[in-house]
Amino acid sequence: MRLNGVDVDDTFAEAFPMKATRLVITAHDATWAMHAAVSATGFATSVIACGCEAGIEGPVEPEATPDGRPGVAVLVFAMSGKELGKQVERRVGQCVMTCPTTAVFAGLPPEAGEPVPLGRNLRFFGDGWQISKMIGGVRYWRVPVMDGEFVAQESTPVVKGVGGGNLLLLADDTATALAGATAAVEAMRCVPGAIMPFPGGVVRSGSKVGSKYAGLIASTNDAFCPALAALAPRTEIGAGVRCVMEIVVDGLREEDVAAAMRAGIAAVIGRGADAGVRRISAGNYGGKLGPFHFHLRALAEGVTS
Amino acid sequence: MSLRLVLRQAPALRVDARRLQPKTLAAVSADDLRRMTLPHGRDEVELGEWFDVLEDGAGSLVLQLEGDLARFDAIGAGLAEGTLVVRGDVGDAVGLGMTGGRLLVEGNARDLAGCAMRGGALEVKGSVGDLAASALPGDMDGMSGGTLCVRGNAGARLADRMRRGNVTVFGDAGEFAASRLVAGTVALGGRCGAHAAWGMRRGTLVFAGEAPALGATFVPIESDADVFWQLLARDLARFGAPFDTLARRRVARHAGDLAAQGKGELLVPQ
Repeated sequence: MRLNGVDVDDTFAEAFPMKATRLVITAHDATWAMHAAVSATGFATSVIACGCEAGIEGPVEPEATPDGRPGVAVLVFAMSGKELGKQVERRVGQCVMTCPTTAVFAGLPPEAGEPVPLGRNLRFFGDGWQISKMIGGVRYWRVPVMDGEFVAQESTPVVKGVGGGNLLLLADDTATALAGATAAVEAMRCVPGAIMPFPGGVVRSGSKVGSKYAGLIASTNDAFCPALAALAPRTEIGAGVRCVMEIVVDGLREEDVAAAMRAGIAAVIGRGADAGVRRISAGNYGGKLGPFHFHLRALAEGVTS
Repeated sequence: MSLRLVLRQAPALRVDARRLQPKTLAAVSADDLRRMTLPHGRDEVELGEWFDVLEDGAGSLVLQLEGDLARFDAIGAGLAEGTLVVRGDVGDAVGLGMTGGRLLVEGNARDLAGCAMRGGALEVKGSVGDLAASALPGDMDGMSGGTLCVRGNAGARLADRMRRGNVTVFGDAGEFAASRLVAGTVALGGRCGAHAAWGMRRGTLVFAGEAPALGATFVPIESDADVFWQLLARDLARFGAPFDTLARRRVARHAGDLAAQGKGELLVPQ
């Protein structure tokens, strides 16, 4: 399949179930809400060593937040509900509660899943002066702090999300690879329910499962390393490819990951092969490990050149 | 199929009506219901003595009572599920200790309405007497859940020792409103009598109507609580006037009762 000169591999991304939740952070203005969101989703690129994968889903208009102030929606993914709970509590406690004027709410309805603590254990920071309030059947904690009160909903529901959707962009060189990846990520950021957890949404050190070293669970994806084209036992690098970038996407639902991948594919195809990204591929494990398969050609169907 | 009881003649003495529950009566036929008895003084008297029992097309688990039932006490006491509608006045302790379901009184209630409520929704379109949403004598805490909505006025000691839940009164409240409040939220739409929130420990009392005179043990708080105020005001707005404009108003807060635990708050919208 070749659209606008860009080859789309006959392959699929293999993704896995993850536990996920959405938080809505509000603040005095959009800038401060974003400060809190950026801080809370920092160091959350991969569950390999960050505990969770997290990212900013997008701004939430004041008309749509529980308290009528500007907000930011944040998605957090982890391998287990327990780890998710730990990560949410830590990040909200250290990065949201600390940020001036913020409040934090669950971004999903309570019936969506089992609750994990959000403000529930942060209440002790109030040192006895915290206030619990049930409003409309939902419990909020109000912790007195130096700018007034930090309001946090007691818990947030955990849903079954999808992690590990991915696109591999094979390009002429670094500059064009970056430009293509940037354009793809920009388009993917418009898709609700999905985040791209790596820095700028892009990962240059794409990994494969396993390693020659005992104890290393992941190692460099040698089949997609241009430097190893002549050395690795198997290579995907053809003539003219000097740089590969990967975009990983996690989503609350399978269709959110699919929509994000489709948006990324469309952005790359829309720029055309002469922009430098000449081939789109994806990573999988033979299809035996992950229950979610995102076939590139099916997603590229209907993308107009 | 649900049942409707229409009062034909009032009893001579007060009657304990807690046996009239939507769930238990759903399984009873109209004939059996006429023969069911309620305590009346030292006797048990058949319902057919006082009521006409009719079948009604309303959904199952709905029980309707019609007439001036001001001599019937403990109507809906312990209600756990289903809907109980009273088209008329009720006596004391309506909804006593209820844990769920919906109880609607289209007239007035006497004292102890919603006393020791634990859940469910009690709405009185008229007024209530003293000690609404309060505690049973000897109990440390009173109402511990659910919602009480009074469209008319409330007497004295509204929400005395309330532990949890929401009480909303559209009209005026008598003296000692929210006295010894442990926690929960009380919202008043009209005027408030003397000694409001006397002995308040925690909890929130909102004066959507006339601002009251506050005692010396309540002190102003000069600090922002806009997020909480928006959450609460928007929730109260669904009751309609006079609560519907609260979210647009700034709020002044007072902490108290400093003579008790003192972690409660009085909210006076400006």
